[in-house]
Amino acid sequence: MSPDFSSLVHWILFLPLGAAAFSALFLRRAGGFAAWFSTAAAFGIAGLSLYLLAQGADVRWHVELAKFGGVSLGFGYLLDAHARLMLFVVSFVAAWIHLFSVGYMQEDAARGRFFAGLSIFMFSILGIVVADNLLMTFIFWELVGFSSYMLIAHYFDKDFAAAASKKAFIVNRVGDLGFILGIAMCLSLYGTLDFAALKDHAAAAKTIPVAVGALLMCGFLGKSAQFPLHVWLTDAMAGPTPVSALIHAATMVAAGVYFMARVSFLLAPEVLQFIAISGAGMAALAGLCALAQTDIKKSLAYSTLAHLGIMGCALGLGHPELALMHMAMHAFFKATLFLGAGSVIHGCHHEQDMLKMGGLLKKMPLTAATFIAATLSNCAVPFLAGWYSKDAIIEAAWHDGHLAIFAFLSLAALATCLYSGRMIRLVFLGEANSEEAAHAHESPWTMTLPLVVLGLVYSVAGGFLASTLLPAGSLQPIKPALDAIAFHLTAPSTIVGLLSLVLGFLGALKFYGSVRGADALQVVSPRTYHLLEHRWMDGVYRWYVDAVQRRVAEFIAFLDLLLINGVAVRWIGGGVPAVLGYLTGRSFHRGQTRAYALWIVIGSLFLAWFLIAR
Amino acid sequence: MPDGLFIFFAALTLGAALLLVLSRNAVTSAMGMILALVGVAADFFLLDAYFLGVLQVLVYAGAVMVLFLFIIMLLDTEDPQGAYPWKTAALGLAVFFLLAASVLWLFHWSGAVSTVKAGATPPELSTNPAEFVTAAKAFGRLLYSKYLLPLEIAGFLLLVALVGVVSLSKDNPENQA
Amino acid sequence: MENTALAHHLLLAGLLFVLGLTGVLVRRNLLVVYMCLELMLAAATLALVAFSRFNRTMDGAVLVFFVITVAAAEVAVGLALIVALFRKRGTVQSDALTTLRD
Repeated sequence: MSPDFSSLVHWILFLPLGAAAFSALFLRRAGGFAAWFSTAAAFGIAGLSLYLLAQGADVRWHVELAKFGGVSLGFGYLLDAHARLMLFVVSFVAAWIHLFSVGYMQEDAARGRFFAGLSIFMFSILGIVVADNLLMTFIFWELVGFSSYMLIAHYFDKDFAAAASKKAFIVNRVGDLGFILGIAMCLSLYGTLDFAALKDHAAAAKTIPVAVGALLMCGFLGKSAQFPLHVWLTDAMAGPTPVSALIHAATMVAAGVYFMARVSFLLAPEVLQFIAISGAGMAALAGLCALAQTDIKKSLAYSTLAHLGIMGCALGLGHPELALMHMAMHAFFKATLFLGAGSVIHGCHHEQDMLKMGGLLKKMPLTAATFIAATLSNCAVPFLAGWYSKDAIIEAAWHDGHLAIFAFLSLAALATCLYSGRMIRLVFLGEANSEEAAHAHESPWTMTLPLVVLGLVYSVAGGFLASTLLPAGSLQPIKPALDAIAFHLTAPSTIVGLLSLVLGFLGALKFYGSVRGADALQVVSPRTYHLLEHRWMDGVYRWYVDAVQRRVAEFIAFLDLLLINGVAVRWIGGGVPAVLGYLTGRSFHRGQTRAYALWIVIGSLFLAWFLIAR
Repeated sequence: MPDGLFIFFAALTLGAALLLVLSRNAVTSAMGMILALVGVAADFFLLDAYFLGVLQVLVYAGAVMVLFLFIIMLLDTEDPQGAYPWKTAALGLAVFFLLAASVLWLFHWSGAVSTVKAGATPPELSTNPAEFVTAAKAFGRLLYSKYLLPLEIAGFLLLVALVGVVSLSKDNPENQA
Repeated sequence: MENTALAHHLLLAGLLFVLGLTGVLVRRNLLVVYMCLELMLAAATLALVAFSRFNRTMDGAVLVFFVITVAAAEVAVGLALIVALFRKRGTVQSDALTTLRD
C-alpha cells in the first residue's frame, strides 16, 4: 500500500495558515516581502498537491477533538480522487494568481494585509477540500466567507467596496443558516457527521429525506451564488481583480459545487431536480445578462454565474464527475479571463469600462492572445478545455432526455458566445475609445507569466487534461462518463455547440462593430438592454426588507418597548429602586463601588440563607 | 480545646488581618497582609500541606506582596487627612458582626455543615499516592496526569496576564484623558 | 495538631473571609481593597486545604495550587489596572470614582 501521505496534507493545509499568521503579525509594513513570502508558500502547496495527484494516493486521517455522548466531533482528512483534483486545481490556479498579484498590487500600500488575506483564504479553501466531516467543512466554509469578506473589502475606504463585502457576507449567511440546519438534521438522523459514515447510512437507507438535501443545498446556493442567492457575486467584483479571479471565479464559488459532489449521496431526487432546473435557467439568464454590462469584470462575473449554473445543472442531472470536471476547466480558463481583465485594467490605468477600451490587441499582445484563447475555451471551441466538459454536460442533458434543460443549456451556450464575441470586439479590436486605452502598455512579467501559463498551457491544452491526466489513475470516476458522452462529433450537443459558436461569435463581432463608443444593443433596443441590466432580485430583496422584515422588526421593537422596557424595566426595575431611593434619600445610587459591593454581599447572604435553610 | 500552635497562629492571622483592615496607612496594611498570609501558610503546615505552605510564603507573601508594596510606593498616595471616619467604622463593625454571626450560625447551629462534628482529629495520613500525602512529588504526579490540561491553561493564563500587563502599562497616548 | 477539628480551621477561614469582606466594604483606598480581596481568596484556600486534608484527597490541595497561580496573574493585571486608573484620574480613592452614578 502507498505510504502515509497525511503529513503531506498537514503541510498543504497549515503552510498557508503559517504564512498568513507570519505576514499578519510581522510583515504588515514590509509588503514586498510579504508578497513574495505568500507566493512562495502558494507554489510550495501547488507542488505538493501535484505530487499527491501524481501519486494518486488516498489519505484518511482523523483525530477526535471532542465527544458529546455518542456524537464525536473531529478534524480529519478524506482525500479521494475528487479531493485530489480539487486540491490540485485550487492550489495550482492560486499559485499563479499569487504571482500575478505581486505585479498587480505593486503600488498598493496595504500589500501585507492583502497577501495575508490571500493566504488565509488558501488555508480555508484547502480545509474544505480535505475535510472529512460536515462540521469541519462548515468551519472552513465560514472561514472562506470571512476571507472573502476581507478581500472584497480591500479598498474599504471606498463605500461601494465596503457595501459589497457586507452584501456578500450577509447573503452567504442566509445560505449558511440552511447549511447548519442541514448539519444538525444529519446529526439527529444519523448521529454522525463523518462523510464516509454518512455514505454508509445513506446507502443503507431506502430514501433520503428531502429536507436534508434541501438544507445542505442552501449552503451551496449561497457560496456558489446560485439563484436566488446569486446577487452578491457581481457586487463582489469591487475587490482587487486577482481576488475576483481567485475567489469569485476559480475556487470559492466552485467550492459549493465540490461540496455538493461530495455529499451527493445525501441529495434526494427532488433536490437534484431543483438544482438542475434552476442551474440551467440561471446559466441561460446570466449569460444574457452578461451582454448588458459595460464593466469588464461585472460582465465576467455574469459569465461565472452562467458557468456555475451549468455546473449545478450537471450536479442535478446526477453527474457530479462532470460538474467537477467543468469546475476544473472553468477554474483554469476563468482565472485566465479574470487575470487578463486585470492586466487590461492595469494597462489602461484602472479603466474598467469596456466601451472605453478597444484596439488593445496591438498594445498588449500577450494579454490579448491569452485572453482570446481563454475566451475561445469559454465558448467551448472544439478541443479546447471548455469543450470537453461543457459539451459533455449538454450532451448528458440530451442523453437523459431532459429536453427543457437541454434547451436552456443551448441558449446558455449561445449567450456565452455572444458575450465573448462582444468582449473581444470591444476590448481588443477596433480603435481605442479613450485616452487611457490609447496609451495602454503591456504588463510586467509577473503578470504576463501567469497568463501565459494558465492561459496557453491549460486553457488550450484541455485535451491534455482530459485525455492524459484522467487515465493516469487520478480521475478514474470521470473517464467512463467522458467516453460515453463526449467525443461524438455528430452528437446533438456538438451540433448545437458549433452552431451557436459560429452564429454567436461572428454575429457578436459584427453587431458590436457597428456602433462605436456605445453599446450596440443599447442603441438598437434600449428596453431589452434595460431588462437585462436591471437587477431584479435586488429589488425583490429590497421589497422584502422594507415591507416584510422591517414591519416585523418594528412590531417586535414595539413589544420590546412595551413589555421589556415598559413593564419589566420601568415598573419593576425602575420602581423598586425609585421607592427605596425615596425612602433612603438616594443613598443606594451614589456611584460608589463600595455601596454596590455592599448590596452584592447582602444579596448573596440572602441567597446563601435561602439555599442552606430551605 | 484545640492545639496551642493552632491557637497561636489563628490569633496571629486574625490580628494581622485586623491590622490590614483597620490601618489608615497603606504600607502598614500591606505589612498586616504579609503577616496574615504567613499565618495562613502556617496553618497549611499544621494541615500537613507543606508544599502549599512554602508556595504561599514564596508566591503570596513574597512576590505578590512585594508587587503591592512597589505599587503603593509608586503611586505614593497620601494618607487621608481629617477626623477618623467614625460612621464608616461603625458601618464596618456592624457588617463584620453580622457576617461573623452568620458564619458562627452556619457552623454551630444550622447543622448544614455535618463534617464539623465528625472527629476531632484529622484522619491518619496514608502512603497511597491517590490520597492526601505530604510530599511535593504527589503534586507533581497529579499536575502532570489528572490536571495536565488545567496546568497548561494556567500557564497560558500567566502568559495572557503578562501580555495584558505590558499593554496596559505601555504609555499609550490614547489612555491619557 | 492532635486536637484541631475541621471546624476550627473552617472557623478561622470563615472569620478571615469575613474580615476581608468587611475591608472590601469599608476601605476607600483601592490598593487596600484589593489586598482585602486577596485575603478573602486566602481564606477560601485555607478552607479548601482543610477539607482536602480531612477527606484524605489531593484534589483540594491541587485546586489551591491553581488558585495561587491565578491569583498571582490576577494581582499583576489588577495592579496594572490600578496604575492605569491612577494615571488617568490621579487618585486611587474609590469615593472619587463615581462615574457609574451618571
